[in-house]
Amino acid sequence: MKEHGDSEEESARELQPVEHSMGAVYTIEAIADLAQVPRRLIVLYCKHGLVVPASKAPESGWYFDDRAIHAVRRIENLRSACGMNLRGIKLLVNLMEEVERLREEVRFFHQQ
Amino acid sequence: MPVEFKDYYKILNVPREASNEDIKKAFRKLARQYHPDVAKDKKAAEEKFKEINEAYEVLGDPENRKKYDELGSYWKEGTEFQPPPGWQQGRARGAPFPEGSFEFRFDGTGFSDFFEQFFGRSGRFDGFSDSGGQREYGDGAAGFARRGSDLESDILVTLEEASKGSVRVLTLQRTNRKTGQARTQTIKVKIPLGVIEGQIIRVPGMGNEGIGRGAPGDLYLRIRFAAHPDFRARGADLYYTLDLAPWEAVLGTRVVISTLHDRVSVKIPPGANNGQQLRVRGHGLVKGQSGEKGDLFVVINIVIPERITEEERKLWNGLSGISHFNPRDSSR
Repeated sequence: MKEHGDSEEESARELQPVEHSMGAVYTIEAIADLAQVPRRLIVLYCKHGLVVPASKAPESGWYFDDRAIHAVRRIENLRSACGMNLRGIKLLVNLMEEVERLREEVRFFHQQ
Repeated sequence: MPVEFKDYYKILNVPREASNEDIKKAFRKLARQYHPDVAKDKKAAEEKFKEINEAYEVLGDPENRKKYDELGSYWKEGTEFQPPPGWQQGRARGAPFPEGSFEFRFDGTGFSDFFEQFFGRSGRFDGFSDSGGQREYGDGAAGFARRGSDLESDILVTLEEASKGSVRVLTLQRTNRKTGQARTQTIKVKIPLGVIEGQIIRVPGMGNEGIGRGAPGDLYLRIRFAAHPDFRARGADLYYTLDLAPWEAVLGTRVVISTLHDRVSVKIPPGANNGQQLRVRGHGLVKGQSGEKGDLFVVINIVIPERITEEERKLWNGLSGISHFNPRDSSR
């Protein structure tokens, strides 16, 4: 198996600003490709409320943003690395979000 | 990974037994002095500002301060820091899945290695760890393909950067745990105008390389606002604590507040109460790509003079004699 980075010399990428994708929206096919997760699984995650489309207008279909890609990758992470089922993932993701929100609140109040 | 211990008390120039209030005051004083927007030597000030911010992030939070004091009891000035047993990377809030072939080190996020290791979240966000769960997606005929793992890190952003946008240089060092070989990659990342605390910036393809025909993973940077000496942010809204003398609160006044972008004159109505919030519309941070701005909330903080002259005492006594105001009267 090829080990990433083993044979590579220390190198620095030419310093051109790397384009991030903030503000971009994707179709379900695009997000499936970017996250390397089958489309049917993304539909399943949406049905469970684990991934929320940025827009779901009936006429234009579902569109997703970077948050959705992050969410899909996190679910895959929990499924494959931790062997969790969807119910467990939902519980954990909700808790992680709640912790994040509370952490921000705590930081806000500590600065008072 | 051995890291240099950071003496946060020394950085904020406070004794170890300093109160929370002393720590806050020390931070505000130093943050004003070294704020990159006001200091003459911007480069040196920026480094110092980040250091001060990191120290305040830890000492300003009682939980973090407790953890830090525990760690500190294992360190002596001038010696190399050896974390106590059970304090390996990830103990605090670190990598969710620290096991793997590579060890990562970010530079340029605004946090030191010491902070990242014990108080940060930097780490691997790896769906396809070596321990199993290998998955093959895409063209089956193409043979074995595995998407590279994702990386996630906090990035410290000042409120000024969020309101103007900036470009940050990040260095990512990956060290192979087995061979010890290191590879360094330096990238420039745009921090777009209008980011808010907790927002995630996805930098496509900057995670780990894929295996076979697998695509590289992504780098996720989570925005964390640097503490500002004057403003606190909540979403795109800014909060400013305005100290008022008791008579200013009673009689009302007008004050000029220097915001991040301009100066705004705020009318304080007579009878302003402690903790009361006055909203100044459109003087907060920029909201996303829309260009619309959040609001500025002025929070009233009535400050009582510590020392008064004899003449002032007489006036207060006179007031106490004629006033019918009783703050403990439940029928008022």
